[in-house]
Amino acid sequence: MAANDYALEAQHLKKIYRRGSEEILAIDDVSLSVRKGEFVAFVGPSGSGKTTLINLLGCLDNATTGSLRIGARTVFSAERCLSESELTRIRRQVFGYIFQKFYLVPTLTVLENVLLPFAFFRKPEATGDPMEILKFLGIDNRIHHRPAEISGGEMQRVAIARALVNKPEILLADEPTGNLDTKRSEEIGAILKSLNEKEGLTVLLVTHNPGLAKVAHRTVTLRDGKIV
Amino acid sequence: MKEKISISQVAYKNLLRKKTRSALTILGIGLSAWVLASLLGFNRGYESALSKDIDNMGFQVLVTAKGCPYEAATLMLKGGTGLRYMNESVIADILKHKEVEKVTPMLMQAVFDPNKGESGGISAYLGVDPATYPEMKTFLKFKQGGWFKDASAHEAVLGYEAAELEQREVGDKILVPEKNIEYTVVGIMTRSGTQDDGTIFVPIGTLQKDFGQEGKVTAVGIKVDKKANMTELENKLYDLPDVQVVSMAQVKNTIMSLVSTAKVMVFSIALIAILIAMIGVINTILMSVFERFQEIGIIKSMGAMPKDVFQMIWTETVILCLLGGVLGIGLSFGLAKITDLLIRRLLPYTPTGSLIVVNTQLSLLTLAAVLVIGLVSGIYPAWRASRVRPLESIRSEGD
Repeated sequence: MAANDYALEAQHLKKIYRRGSEEILAIDDVSLSVRKGEFVAFVGPSGSGKTTLINLLGCLDNATTGSLRIGARTVFSAERCLSESELTRIRRQVFGYIFQKFYLVPTLTVLENVLLPFAFFRKPEATGDPMEILKFLGIDNRIHHRPAEISGGEMQRVAIARALVNKPEILLADEPTGNLDTKRSEEIGAILKSLNEKEGLTVLLVTHNPGLAKVAHRTVTLRDGKIV
Repeated sequence: MKEKISISQVAYKNLLRKKTRSALTILGIGLSAWVLASLLGFNRGYESALSKDIDNMGFQVLVTAKGCPYEAATLMLKGGTGLRYMNESVIADILKHKEVEKVTPMLMQAVFDPNKGESGGISAYLGVDPATYPEMKTFLKFKQGGWFKDASAHEAVLGYEAAELEQREVGDKILVPEKNIEYTVVGIMTRSGTQDDGTIFVPIGTLQKDFGQEGKVTAVGIKVDKKANMTELENKLYDLPDVQVVSMAQVKNTIMSLVSTAKVMVFSIALIAILIAMIGVINTILMSVFERFQEIGIIKSMGAMPKDVFQMIWTETVILCLLGGVLGIGLSFGLAKITDLLIRRLLPYTPTGSLIVVNTQLSLLTLAAVLVIGLVSGIYPAWRASRVRPLESIRSEGD
């Protein structure tokens, strides 16, 4: 497979947190490649390093050692660590994020929440109509409602729409169904699968939910910061 | 379909989350802005009201005998004693100077009136020349009657308060205690807010004769030619023997320096109010930043740069301050009269005109000051917010 077929490639990633004199090895020598258009689920018990790994892969943090390539670009390596601003530039170009908590701005309407990334940055290729995304996610009839006026499932869909509006290459979803019931979780799983299949979006999913993990092409299991 | 949202819109809507808190902060800023606008208005208003009062005296320079009290209030304080006299010939000497446009002689006399107040008091009589004095004090208006015409008539004109105190109307007689002389009241003035209100005016010739001061005056009021050099004239007048020259500009300076003490006090209060408002703004915005710590992190994960977050939080501060500033300016216009009354109670001497003059220029100045306060207050919370790392907010989600 050609190098540019990969959405990201991580080599020997290690992340050590320091708490006083104590060192905590959160990620221990993880190497991983994700193909473009691949749907990968990260599973494992609490504290296994799923979120830490996805944060490193999603350029939300620098690794202590190791290297990461996003497409053809080296993000960090042994020689180079990125500043917060540099990480931000990559994030706005490449990633869309969904979290367990939806973090919608309560005083903005659904549509305004979806448009919020445009207040800070709009990718040149993000020319599509945000209404199409809202329609695809089935919440186009709720655009003038505030977050408090819609259900948890709908709130997560708004968060997904917000993550998609800037046309990301990779969608990072960290426990996106953690606050939802089974039915809503299945709906979100179906949406992520559909985005992957129909839009060709690369999806990295962290979940405790085995049912949701099944939606992915590949499951990566972590324990004590290592892939097992 | 609207496809845009600006940082300012987001900032404005953020303030709507805690409406009561935002409203209270705006109120705090508004009250500070009110104090500031009123103070600036007072600075301007007091001086202009004082200048107007001094202009209303009708003359710019007063020549008196050395050591002689030149206003009724001082005379009262001295128990009606301490009067010094000049010969009428001084008038001719004064008129020799080309800078002098008009002069009017005056003779002040004081008499103890046992019927005044509870234990008696001093009544001040001012002998004035009916030919020149009314001409200089054209702003004095009459409630009843008018000026006496004859310089030797046994007639009197009462100031508004003097008439109230003596319970006299035009046609009534007024008795000078100790002297057993009666004057017929021919005029009662409207309130002028000056010392004229408490004065009993009598023709100067009559007063000189009745008080045994023929050929004497206590003061000469001088109206100076508009083009003349006031300081030069004052220096020339000091060449006259045993006189003191009171320039109304000096009087104004003296009063202004007395008032400056009160101003310092009010300025201090305003400064404290502004500091409290600033701390209130910092507290409000900082609390709001801490409450939205995770949300700010998420915004940064969306691609917001530190400067974007800084701008968003700074804009929130500026919006609060602008709204507070507008409220404060509104209050300063709406409550100008009440503030005026409060200041009058605070100060020992206040001129008659409006003490607080708030205008567009002053409003803009206040708004600019409040805006600067907002910009300064917003720096720290905005800086704190801009330093929030997305990871910190996400990590708290647990793993």
